[in-house]
Amino acid sequence: MRITILRGGGLPGIVARTELDTAALPKTAAKAFASEVARANLGECPAPPTANPWPDAQLYELRVEESGPVINVRYTEQSLPESVRLLVAWVDGRPEKVESIET
Amino acid sequence: MEEATMKHNNGSILCSIAPPDLLGRLAVEGTPKQREAAVRALATSAAIRSQRAVMGRINRQLRLNIGQMIGFAVTPERRLTVYDNQHQGRTFLPGVQMRGWEEPPVKDEAVNQAYDGSNATYEFYRDIFDRNSLDGAGLELISSVHYGVAFDNAFWDGAQMVYGDGSGRIFQIGGLTRSLDVIAHELTHGITELTAGLIYSKQPGALNESFSDVFGSLVKQYSLGQSAADADWLIGGGILLPALGTALRSMLHPGTAYSGDRQPGHMDNYVDLPDDNDPRNDNGGVHINSGIPNRAFALAALALGGNAWDKAGRIWYQALTTRLRPNSQFKEAAQATVDLAGTLFSSSERDAVHGAWKEVGVLS
Repeated sequence: MRITILRGGGLPGIVARTELDTAALPKTAAKAFASEVARANLGECPAPPTANPWPDAQLYELRVEESGPVINVRYTEQSLPESVRLLVAWVDGRPEKVESIET
Repeated sequence: MEEATMKHNNGSILCSIAPPDLLGRLAVEGTPKQREAAVRALATSAAIRSQRAVMGRINRQLRLNIGQMIGFAVTPERRLTVYDNQHQGRTFLPGVQMRGWEEPPVKDEAVNQAYDGSNATYEFYRDIFDRNSLDGAGLELISSVHYGVAFDNAFWDGAQMVYGDGSGRIFQIGGLTRSLDVIAHELTHGITELTAGLIYSKQPGALNESFSDVFGSLVKQYSLGQSAADADWLIGGGILLPALGTALRSMLHPGTAYSGDRQPGHMDNYVDLPDDNDPRNDNGGVHINSGIPNRAFALAALALGGNAWDKAGRIWYQALTTRLRPNSQFKEAAQATVDLAGTLFSSSERDAVHGAWKEVGVLS
């Protein structure tokens, strides 16, 4: 399984990419990764459109690829569910993640 | 692999089983101490939000200063409070109160920086434009620091300022609250919301961003006693990692602040992006195309000379608070500032402002 998190907008308007692949993780972390993704309910509860965006708030896109269909969902800071915020924080906390700035 | 279609909330019951927010959960399931703290935080947050939603709507619809309205108490003294989000997130805003108005500094430097920056911004609007806080009637300035974990952003959530600590990967750790122009930028979003109400999308959104940069820069220049000619015209100077660049934006030279800066300085290079919640598209390029009105302001201020807040700042402030509407486009903003330059000053100021908008390709 592979997750790609894009964060854009925000005060700087910079687009940051964070990627994490199961293949890079130790076995126990890989299991935890799967469970964090499942708990985030990405496919089941996607973001509602935001009518009045908060100025400078970040926009998020999460893409999860595994054996089934690709899950690709977008959130705003306003619509980001707590479960997805926790998933993003979990990925951010992994030393195996790969980060880059999109230009 | 099959690409799933981008989905939006269709109100399905699945969404209702998403984990409840942390405060709500603590209010119901926490220990007695947690429940008390959660209920207090929820009440604070709800009160701030409902008060500001009502005020903003009335301000925009009636074009009234709240102080003119019977039934609303005007607060002559400033009110300013800083909270600690304790590395949680949206559901714990504003967080735990750390420092209120006229309370002494605390040990947490981010709290003191948010306090001092809000205070300096309040004083700028009061001294230069005779404006008592965001709504002109002493609205409390609320900030939350330590939002999220290593969070690389600061924003205005419609009710308050919110600051992350920075991760050290984009923003320097602690950089966001250290930057007075960033604090003034966020507070100005509040003024825009309560006055012109510029929608946060495409050209009105780029104007919204630009007014925040304009007054963010002016608050910094005022605090440093700098003339337009002496100013660096940078927004967020020194808060990005040095490897990325020197600042978030250059108002005078858009597109040169950091590696990958896509800001245009002329309408010929306007970047027409959709507003589709795609992080790559920045609400229709609001932080990208703001380079055009930003450069117009810097050019006008330099042409008018002296301190930028005396003439150019006054013209832009009047445009924001009395002329523009939620859907105003670049041309309308340009014409409003040209007309105001003539009304507030004279034909030479009018020509200088017109010349600035002409140089960036908005007026001919």
